[in-house]
Amino acid sequence: MDEKRARFEAAVLPHLDAAYRFARWLSYAPCDADDVVQEAMLRAFRGFDALRGSDVKAWLLAIVRNCHLTAAKQQQRRGFVPLPEENDVQDGHAMSATTADPEDESIRRDEQRTLDRLIAGLPEEHRTVLMLREIEEMDYRQIAQATNVPIGTVMSRLARSRAALKARWLQEAAGAPRAVR
Amino acid sequence: MRCAESLRVQAYFDAEVDAVSAAEIERHIEHCAECRALLSDLEQVRGVLRRDAPYERTPAALRAQVMRALDEESAAPAAAAVVPLRARYSPARRPRAFWLGALGGAGGSAIAAMLAFFLLVPRLTNPLLDELVNSHVRSLMPAHLIDVVSTDKHTVKPWFAGHADVSPVVADFDAQGYRLVGGRADYLEHQRSAVVVYQHGAHVINVFSWAGNGHSLPANATRSGYHLAFWQAGDLQYCAISDTGWDELDALVRLLRE
Repeated sequence: MDEKRARFEAAVLPHLDAAYRFARWLSYAPCDADDVVQEAMLRAFRGFDALRGSDVKAWLLAIVRNCHLTAAKQQQRRGFVPLPEENDVQDGHAMSATTADPEDESIRRDEQRTLDRLIAGLPEEHRTVLMLREIEEMDYRQIAQATNVPIGTVMSRLARSRAALKARWLQEAAGAPRAVR
Repeated sequence: MRCAESLRVQAYFDAEVDAVSAAEIERHIEHCAECRALLSDLEQVRGVLRRDAPYERTPAALRAQVMRALDEESAAPAAAAVVPLRARYSPARRPRAFWLGALGGAGGSAIAAMLAFFLLVPRLTNPLLDELVNSHVRSLMPAHLIDVVSTDKHTVKPWFAGHADVSPVVADFDAQGYRLVGGRADYLEHQRSAVVVYQHGAHVINVFSWAGNGHSLPANATRSGYHLAFWQAGDLQYCAISDTGWDELDALVRLLRE
């Protein structure tokens, strides 16, 4: 393995999962995310030498976002609108679930599904900022770099997405019983 | 109408403010019921998201696909990548023939450099050894050693089915002084490898296993004070690594191979 490849693998590959999750939050269709991630990793590798002292994770996610935008534009041109794939979203839990009491587990899975649906319902630019903050635990500066907006915009989007998620969560809790679906 | 301080309260919650501002905001929160409510909302939303939002990992197939794409990329166009850079520096007036020569030279040297890497680097450093030592050292840090805690091989072995790409030999050799303490999934050789953890006296022994895919194994080695013993069984490659002596490590390897 050559030296650039080794450096790339040490610095960038640890963020592959984050890149994949980010692509999922951007497109919410797993097959699109696959293409976007692969293209992004290639572009990242080609541009790796230009990366100097910048935050690797934020840099990689910015590339993922650019690839997503390019792919989305191409799809638009072809007039292709993917349907949300709810089942695939649920499958994602299979890998992370830890077995506990089966009854607790089923309630929890219900809640996870509800939450997943609520997240999917947020506008993309709100969803991504929220998830980068809460799940990837990135700071404002990193999120600003990854999503290519000023820090002030990150802050206002965060505030709005948090308020919206909270409101929808309450609505859900007050609405129909969860078992009926 | 929102309190004008709400964005600052959010920044405080996200640990984005310095100590002076933090003290100011804390004073404000004491007096502002709205911001107190906001803070508790923020905590609630974070709690729900971190507990229940899907935390997905790259599917193994996609990861493999990415690695293949990188393989192709790092193998082929090294020469192509060099040329445009050189081209930018040269004055445009130079005759065409010079270009052909320059391109040939750049490409040739790139290919030579590439060959040198492929031929020389694996002999000097084996990245697998470093990866193994790093994983082993990382596993000794608090809370990293074990994903599934069990002295029962019937618990550890099935756990791997859902968490690793391979299903290794798992056995307890408590009678021989090697107690099975658990298992862990670790990322190695571009796959989710299975790690069985044994305790021998005060020493931890990590036994890594991964699909060999036809690669040859390195010879037993000592790195940074850790001994690494390699062997192959069927399709699986194993490495036992520990800071025990060679004799103790070899004894476990013999037990595992039987």
